[in-house]
Amino acid sequence: MDVTFKIRRYNPEIPGKDKPYWQEYVLKDVEPTNRVLEMLHRVKWEQDGTLSFRRSCSSGICGSDAMRINGRNRLACKLLIRDVGAKIQVEPILGLPVIKDLIVDMEPFFDHYRSVMPFYVNNDPLPADGRERLQTADDRAIFDDTTNCILCACCTTSCPSFWANGKYVGPAAIIQAHRFIFDTRDQAAKERIDILAEPDGVWRCRTVYNCTPACPRGISVTRAIGEVKLAIMRGSPKGIINPKDIPTHE
Amino acid sequence: MTSLVLTVSETLRYRGAIGQWSWVLHRLSGLGVVLFITLHIIDTSWALLYPELYVEAIATYQTPLFTIGEFLLVGAVVYHALNGFRIILIDFRPKWWKYQERAAWMVLAGAAIILIPVFIGMFGHVLNFYSGDSQVLPLMDVLRAQIPFVVGIVVAIVAGVLFSFLQGLIAGGGEKKSDKAGSAVERFWWSYMRISGLLIIPLVFGHLAMMHVIQGVFDITAANFTVVGTDAVNVSGTAVEFVAARWNMFLGGVAIWRLYDFGLLALVVIHGFNGLRYVLTDYTAKNPTLRRGMVYVSLIGALVLIIVGTLALIGTIDSTAIEMAQRAAESLHQ
Repeated sequence: MDVTFKIRRYNPEIPGKDKPYWQEYVLKDVEPTNRVLEMLHRVKWEQDGTLSFRRSCSSGICGSDAMRINGRNRLACKLLIRDVGAKIQVEPILGLPVIKDLIVDMEPFFDHYRSVMPFYVNNDPLPADGRERLQTADDRAIFDDTTNCILCACCTTSCPSFWANGKYVGPAAIIQAHRFIFDTRDQAAKERIDILAEPDGVWRCRTVYNCTPACPRGISVTRAIGEVKLAIMRGSPKGIINPKDIPTHE
Repeated sequence: MTSLVLTVSETLRYRGAIGQWSWVLHRLSGLGVVLFITLHIIDTSWALLYPELYVEAIATYQTPLFTIGEFLLVGAVVYHALNGFRIILIDFRPKWWKYQERAAWMVLAGAAIILIPVFIGMFGHVLNFYSGDSQVLPLMDVLRAQIPFVVGIVVAIVAGVLFSFLQGLIAGGGEKKSDKAGSAVERFWWSYMRISGLLIIPLVFGHLAMMHVIQGVFDITAANFTVVGTDAVNVSGTAVEFVAARWNMFLGGVAIWRLYDFGLLALVVIHGFNGLRYVLTDYTAKNPTLRRGMVYVSLIGALVLIIVGTLALIGTIDSTAIEMAQRAAESLHQ
């Protein structure tokens, strides 16, 4: 099949291309099972070497090829041609400064990520055996979903609150905070709750639900944000998530 | 402004699911209701403070422009109430997020189910009024009557921004790194919006039923009509006597409709203007002075309406006011 790509281009260094514009490419002999990322490679390698986009692992793990494809945020490497059709529109994710073509400056996104202390904190001495801090299966289950985040920014840049206000910490940073706030072994839940309780923290979430279907890892993002809101209201993460409510957990 | 334009245009372009459209409708319906209550509270206070003006205000309500607005208003209130209920439910039970899409459709269906009979009832009043020999003010007069409100809103915006600018000059610019006080404030507002929302739903539905369905804005000026929720008859057929009958209605020594209206006034104004603050601060994040100004605008609006509304509710409409209204009504249609 033939596939038409309509791609949002921008290159601040070349006069005439320093305002965003659309460019079309037609690819022949495309299989429905080809991935969108492979076809972007074909555009770059066969037709236009100046096309720029990020990708690293190409297999849905590194999270570097988030883009808006046919109006929705996705990972180009996880999306098949048959799922988007023969006319494919690709543009950079929104809310972060565009550097060139499909590449955005991820620094503001990572600043928000860093602001929520996205690391494990436990200052107690190690257990007697000097090895692991043990946790029950139930305690592990309550934050299992949010461990899946790969920081691709699909959720944060699908959020109208973030488009309007880049100071809003955004879904991805809240997801990362959730992963530690609800970890019973971690001791910095209070600090994270205080950070996210600020006016540009969780309260800018208006439950628009764009983030949840945007997540290429299937994390129920809006649910997790809701749980963090409740943890802030109660001042503690205890008792908010019932492990029996986790679908994958037996 | 750029962030508002960007959000609006990209919301239209982004292929979000129904959750996104529920959010758009929730904001639009909320803003519409805030605009209306601003007019409505101020001119209802005139029943006590300036009876002649109140007669004119009700006459502007009895014109096609406001009739269309009334249908939009009732639609907006019903949608906002049901969708607010959906938001509250899932906020307190995040595990129900899976049902949010279904709930969003149920909100639309529920709004339609409620609105069809309500609109039929309202349309009966409309038909009755416009097919009779009623006097209808020309459109230009109606628009001219809104000029003071437009001026008032502009003044509030200018005052809010100016105040914020002066505060910036005195206290110095720059943003706080950590905002502990802001956190407590936002936590309070998050709960307030949800609790007040739940309390408002029965109050506002009762208010709509009485004032828009059982008796409409057209019955307010009907002579020798028993006023809804009271045993009093509106002898003079003036809007002022209608309001007086309701506010002077006592049940077991309590002025129940004053109490009811005060509950609505306080809950709705604070809910509405905090919602306005949410919307305005969302789109002014890039400019701290403007953003703080928008907080002041919301605060000014809420304070003015609560003060004016309370003044009207604690006063007593006497027979002189009704006579003034009668004379005003006569001269209005000459």
